[in-house]
Amino acid sequence: MTIYESDLPGVGKKFEVELEGGERLVIVTHNTGKREVYKKADADADSEKLFEVSDRLARKVGTILEGAYFQPVQTDRVETMLSDNTFIEWYGVTEAAEIAGQTIGDARIRERVGISIIAVQRDDELITPPTPETVIEPGDTLVVVGDREDCTEFEKLLGDESGA
Amino acid sequence: MATETTLIDLGILFAAVGLAGLLANRINQSVIPFYIVIGMILSPYVLGRVDFPALLGDGAIPHGSELALVETDFIYVGAELGIVLLLFFLGLEFNLDRLIAAKKKIGTAGTWDLGINFGIGFALGWLLFGEFLAAFLTAGIVYISSSAIITKSLIDLGWIANDESNPMLGTLVYEDLFIAVYLAIASALVFGGGDVGEALGQIGIAVGFILGLLLLVYFGTAWFQRSLETDSHEFIVLRALGITVLVSGAALALGVSEAVAAFFVGMAFSSTDHVHDLENLLEPVRDTFAAVFFFWIGMITDPTLFYDVLWIIAAAVLFTTPTKLISGYIGGRVYDLDERRSLRVGLGMVTRGEFSLIIASLALAGAGTGLTEGVANDLYAFAVGYVLFMSILGTTLMQYSDRIEAAVVPVLESRSEPSPQPGDD
Repeated sequence: MTIYESDLPGVGKKFEVELEGGERLVIVTHNTGKREVYKKADADADSEKLFEVSDRLARKVGTILEGAYFQPVQTDRVETMLSDNTFIEWYGVTEAAEIAGQTIGDARIRERVGISIIAVQRDDELITPPTPETVIEPGDTLVVVGDREDCTEFEKLLGDESGA
Repeated sequence: MATETTLIDLGILFAAVGLAGLLANRINQSVIPFYIVIGMILSPYVLGRVDFPALLGDGAIPHGSELALVETDFIYVGAELGIVLLLFFLGLEFNLDRLIAAKKKIGTAGTWDLGINFGIGFALGWLLFGEFLAAFLTAGIVYISSSAIITKSLIDLGWIANDESNPMLGTLVYEDLFIAVYLAIASALVFGGGDVGEALGQIGIAVGFILGLLLLVYFGTAWFQRSLETDSHEFIVLRALGITVLVSGAALALGVSEAVAAFFVGMAFSSTDHVHDLENLLEPVRDTFAAVFFFWIGMITDPTLFYDVLWIIAAAVLFTTPTKLISGYIGGRVYDLDERRSLRVGLGMVTRGEFSLIIASLALAGAGTGLTEGVANDLYAFAVGYVLFMSILGTTLMQYSDRIEAAVVPVLESRSEPSPQPGDD
């Protein structure tokens, strides 16, 4: 991957990044801080403008591209890692969830997805440990233990409502 | 020169310029010719000659001469401030290290540009006016492309991300540096009586002043850096204006070009950390007074004079459009660009603008000293007409470059070997 840098007197700086397949990404950094991003189909092609962003926004986009950007999003799901691949997770149960209204035993959650429900939070009370007879109701928060894949499976049972 | 400007006059000026800018923007043209034309329309030469009472048969409407804006001290000084700020910005964005880093390519492309265009301009001026100084000024007027219009068009058209932007901006840097030196010599010649021998004293003062400024730039960076160490925008603007306008004014008082002094002050600031702030904060100030400058240029132009210099303008357009196309094309080839992009460089460099007008105002200032009244007025009218035409022609050529390329490139390619791949640096 080659990056070409050149000065644009009176304007700013230009960076050309070679992408796969011969395409090039051209980033013009203006002295004013504005960034313009262009794409070239190949080294000889004319540039097509994709977008322009302000200095602040450009830095933000840059950190996302870098993978360094993280901003906690308000969700009702908290993630705690027990070991390498085992998590304790909190999931909200919605009206739409397939298992809403079933008992834990009937829903055969452990057989189907391999996670264990270790507690059910309902309003102010905490049912722990829940029994196979405990009914899962909409509005409950389930505290579960399982590995990453199983947690993902369980999310599907819940109707994918609680985030990825 | 009248001495009074009322607030309403200024209101009319800015409203007119604002509307002219709006119109230019609507039809995708550069604002500069529109500012000049609106200045012309509101001048005593156009509006001032319209006899409304006779035309409309109504005595209640004042005669045009009562409505026209006249050149006052205030507008004149505002225009001067426009020149100072334009050149200050040129210096501010001028980076000597950059020039040195790319000196081989910029030097080659720029020298071709200078040799071809300045040469033809000088020859043309000599043939038309038959004297050295007028020829020298004509050469400058036709040589210098418009940094402001070309840079803006590059960004608007998205060419800035293409390879053709490098030779174009590089050549502009070369031109800008040349014009700073040129203005110093030209103003010394104009005020020194037009004769090189008699002007030696003036040139001596000019060179001394510039050397002093260069030393200031070289040794004074730390001071310039400290001079703007403040978090207050207000203080930055006022101090920067204080330093720039004071130095430029002092230069003018000594008979040295204020524009050149402003250029060097800008250059002194270019190596401090304040460049970014200065550009952001002073840009609106520059644009305000630059608009006054262009308006003033139009306002003191008598359009009937165009009639006398029409054939001079025609000759200049006829000869100096192709020369820029050729020198731009050569510049593109120096940067290893292909036929199509080299042609684009040529199309882009045709636009002439603000600096040609600064030279024109210099010629006018020299009427009666270095130049005869007649020659000075002819030169001035020629320059304004020429810039009006070339700024519109240049931006139009850039906008329709696709069609021109489609027609011309096959011809160029059939006449030369396959071109090398465009290089990057």
